[in-house]
Parts: sequence; C-alpha cells; structure tokens
Amino acid sequence: MSAIWTILMLSSLAVLIFTDPQTALSSMLKGSENAVDLSVKLVASYAFWMGLFSLLEKLKITDLLAKILKKPIRFLFPGEDEKTEKFITMNVSANLLGLGNAATPMGINAVKHMHGNSSFDNISTFLVLSATSLQILPTTVISMRVSAGSTSPMSIFIPSLIATVSSTLLGIIICKTIRAIKQKTQKSRILTHTYARKSNNTI
Amino acid sequence: MISVSDYIVPIIFFTVLLLSVIKKKDAYNGFIDGSKNAISLMCNVFPYLVTVMIAIQLFKASGIANRLSFTLAPIFKFIGIPSELTELMIIRPVSGAGAMAVLENIFVTYGPDSFIGKCASVIYGSSETVFYISAVYFSGVDGKAKGYAIPVALVCTFIGYIIGCALL
Repeated sequence: MSAIWTILMLSSLAVLIFTDPQTALSSMLKGSENAVDLSVKLVASYAFWMGLFSLLEKLKITDLLAKILKKPIRFLFPGEDEKTEKFITMNVSANLLGLGNAATPMGINAVKHMHGNSSFDNISTFLVLSATSLQILPTTVISMRVSAGSTSPMSIFIPSLIATVSSTLLGIIICKTIRAIKQKTQKSRILTHTYARKSNNTI
Repeated sequence: MISVSDYIVPIIFFTVLLLSVIKKKDAYNGFIDGSKNAISLMCNVFPYLVTVMIAIQLFKASGIANRLSFTLAPIFKFIGIPSELTELMIIRPVSGAGAMAVLENIFVTYGPDSFIGKCASVIYGSSETVFYISAVYFSGVDGKAKGYAIPVALVCTFIGYIIGCALL
C-alpha cells in the first residue's frame, strides 16, 4: 500500500509540475476536503449499519448465518475464533447483497480481530476476497444504464457476474497456493535446521 | 423504477424489529449499542482515508490515467479490450467516483448498448475500488502490513474483465 501511494503521489506530482503546477496544491487540499465530506457521510452510514448489526447479533441471527457459512469460512480463514468468523460472515453477506457501506465496518472489525490471533495470510485472503468484488447484482451500473437510455440494462448482468465470480475464485486459488508454498518452505527450513543440528552433533 | 434490491433492507429491518418484539428484546438500546461505535471506528479510519484521497485527487488532476491509456492502447487492443476502456480500467481501482465519470462519458459517446458501453459496464460492475478498500480495511492493523493482497486482487480483477468482455 505504501509503495502504491508513493508511486501515485510521485508520478502525479511530477506530471503536474511540468504541465499545471497551480492545480497541484488545490487538488491535494480538495482530496483532503473530500475525505472529510466522505467521512461524515460514512459515519452516518456506519452508525446505521452497526446499529442494525448489533440488533442482528442480539437476536442471534449472526450466529445462524455464521453457522451456515461456517465451512467455506473455515476453509478460507483457518484458525479464527468465533467472533472473527461472525464479522467475516456479516461482511461477506453484506457484500453479496451489494451493501458496500454495511460491509465496511464489519470488514474493519474482522481484520482487527484477525490481527490479534492469527497469521497475515488470513488478512491477505480477506482483502483479496473483498477487493475482487463479491456483489451479485451491480445495481449502480444498471441504474446508470437505465438513465443513459439503454434498451436492455440487465444484459450485462450475467457476463459481469461471471467476471466477478472468476476473479474471486482465481484470487482464492492464488491465496491458497501462496499459503501452501509458504508452509512447504517453512517445513523444509525446519527440516534442514534439524539436519544441520544433527550433523553438528556428530562433529 | 423499483427493483428487488430496494426491498432487501426494509424487509430485513422490519423482520428484525418484529423478532425483537416477539423475543422481548430491547431493540432501541440494542441499536444504540452498535451505533455508538461508529465515530470511534471513523477516528481510526480517517487518517488513512485522508492520505489515500489526497493521492487519488492528485492522480485525477494529473491526467495520468488519460495519458497512460493512450500509450497502453495498442497492448490492450491486442488482448481484445477496446482502447477506449483502458482509462476506465486504470482509474477503477483508484477512484470509484472517477470511474463513474469515465463510464458516463463512454455511455454518452458510444451508447450504453454498444459493445464498448457493455464492456465498460462489466468492468465497472465486476470490480471494486481496490485501493480504497485496502486502505480502509488495513486501518485496523497496526504497523506495516505489506503483502501480496493488492497485486493479487488487481491481477484477478483484470483477468475477470477479460473473461467478462469475451462473453459479451
């Protein structure tokens, strides 16, 4: 993330210094201003969604959902405690329904809890899962197509769904592979370590 | 136009309230228990949000997306993606609003039912604002969280685009 941020800033500033130096400062301040506006809006929607989430939790509906999604979640995020699993479940369900703003607070909480007791691989998998998009119905695009006068606004639904599903599946496969390779190298490292110790002993 | 998705939240909320009445739970205080955490959550997220959005705004103002799409056009055309869409693909992971403006532009220029218009719809609809999500989600993690997540997500999203556009 920090590398991407630095590259974005450096390249943008370099171009602006040569083409349009006046806009550099004003657009950076505009970005900062946008963040304040957005955060006010987000606080409003977080408050709503977190309120609804706590109601769902008090009624044990989250437990029910977590039970239903237990197998895929245990497969993707091994070694997480129940609380984290619940947050992941809620994040995934909200994302599937296209409620991005509801998904975010649950996602942040899930990552926070993962950090406490588990590996970095789970966080990475979680990020890949969210960043490859889980939304089933692309509501924004469809309403934009309607207002642009499309004769068949829904025609993109199936291709877009297949694109989303294949990107997410591919992401999961890559994350699992990276994890497997890591474990393998770790094992072989332990093996060579013990081997080295043994040979030391014989000397 | 009322769509199915408009019913989801009101129905969920109604069911939840009804259930809490049946189970004799205090819905009012239950809601407050959740919503009181919203501001402290935002306090943690805000520094990340500001830092990322400054870069996004600067990136948009620099016009790099436009320039890059111009230089990369021949390569993308080779894979089978119309060159008009490169700008959209470059800006999509960085800025949701920026991508929306580009999409709107494509609709106006080519029409939403043209191949390019449909392709653009798939690109926008099948992906997420990767940088925004990773900045916000990682805000809960202290220390440096470097990893393979962002490149993996970007590559997979891109392959998803190709598959989606090939199906049109």
